[in-house]
Amino acid sequence: MITLAKYYRQSATYRIFKGILEDLTVFMETLGQITVQLCQVSKFILKGEISWKELMEQCYRYGITSLPITLSISAMTSIIIASQVAAEMVKQGGGNFVGMLLVILIVREAGAVMSAFAIISMIGSSMASEIATMRVTEQIDAITVLKVNPVRYLFVPRVLSGIIMMPFIVILASFVGVLAGAVTSDLSAGLSYRAYFDSAWLGVYIKDLFVSLLKSSCFGGAIALISCTCGYYASGGAKGVGLATTKAVVWSFVAIVIIDMIFAIAFFY
Amino acid sequence: MSIEVKNLVKIYDDRKVIDNVSFRVNDRETLAIVGFSGSGKSTILKLICGLTERDSGEIITGDGDIAMVFQYSALFDSLNVADNITFALQERRELRKKYSQKDLAEIVSKKLELVGLKGIENKFPSELSGGMQKRVSFARAIVTEPNIILYDEPTAGLDPISSTLIEDYIVRLKEETNAASIVVTHQMSTIRRTADRVIMLYDGKIVYEGTPDDMLKMDNEYTKQFVTASLEGPMKMIA
Repeated sequence: MITLAKYYRQSATYRIFKGILEDLTVFMETLGQITVQLCQVSKFILKGEISWKELMEQCYRYGITSLPITLSISAMTSIIIASQVAAEMVKQGGGNFVGMLLVILIVREAGAVMSAFAIISMIGSSMASEIATMRVTEQIDAITVLKVNPVRYLFVPRVLSGIIMMPFIVILASFVGVLAGAVTSDLSAGLSYRAYFDSAWLGVYIKDLFVSLLKSSCFGGAIALISCTCGYYASGGAKGVGLATTKAVVWSFVAIVIIDMIFAIAFFY
Repeated sequence: MSIEVKNLVKIYDDRKVIDNVSFRVNDRETLAIVGFSGSGKSTILKLICGLTERDSGEIITGDGDIAMVFQYSALFDSLNVADNITFALQERRELRKKYSQKDLAEIVSKKLELVGLKGIENKFPSELSGGMQKRVSFARAIVTEPNIILYDEPTAGLDPISSTLIEDYIVRLKEETNAASIVVTHQMSTIRRTADRVIMLYDGKIVYEGTPDDMLKMDNEYTKQFVTASLEGPMKMIA
């Protein structure tokens, strides 16, 4: 019997199941950590225990430093879509709907999602690595010993800055995206700006704008919360920082898609 | 406020890294904790300041603040020296309203003078040498006027002259603050120059307790091996 068990432990089946179980454990552990931190952050925000100086700094970091890359990605996404769609639609006699199509796409989805992806790669990863470095260099221990709550000091300003700044980023990104779409439609399909903008407003309702802003706030908060959590629970040295950063990026990407799906089902299904 | 540790136990991965350790440190007294790497010295400090949960035992420290000077200073990279020193005063709710910007500037200047570093308020930690960072971390530690100061290998990685300077500041801070201090160290000079008493840990247990002078007499086989840095003796490197 013992030999059989020993033989089984060497088998591929055992190793596959063991690997899956370990991954599942890490997944549940991370989910638990994010949930715990979400509760803590919510508690501090509701009690008004906010480090305002730190919040201002994080808002600047989140909202201003990320703009060049966010706007560039939004513009390029619009150029890619418009260059493929505009000419074909004009050819099929649907030129009057190019503006509408692009605006719906950008306002409802592309503006928020592409901005979120840009923010993850630029701000989320830097938040995770910064906090992970603070963890492995005992700076978070120092905060704790000085009787300052590290969640209040590190998480709250970052999560709040995400919630506050992300809608502004998305508004600007969507605006740039719509403009880039107009220019591309004109250049690639000869569609006039007037024809583009005449149809542009036909497909967008106040609800779309509202949902987009609410969704972007959720994206902003989620990216900051996940990035901070992954950094906070980092361990080991430089390798631990790298692993935490990767984990933050992967989890943030997945979270954005899940949140987006929930919004799509809740508001447009 | 003194520190009293009674029957302290800490277990990591089924191994007792602190095994029924008891000691007391009085006001204005400095206790040095020595021992091999991995003998549980830093764990004791983390247990006292609440960074790690104990498995059993008791730690009595009273209501006052506990300060800790970390092995590699642990200064906040993103804050300048002045903000590092006044971090607790700016971020702790009960202290925040007590100090104006002018008060904070005065406190920074006073604390920096105490550790022999004037005029570096606006520098960032990355612009300072290891010894200077350590001294700034001293200033940060005493800003809340703690009753207990813990030093985790304060002279690690420093040259002999900087080490002597740091040792002098440990003695000076004890006199200035009347605090009870614990110094975790490997260095004989730090033990001789700063400590009133010494305890030696091996495998999570206290194997020696006495004065630095008695330790140097090498009556105890553990201290003899430690002082002579010998591979032969009762202490084996713990894997």
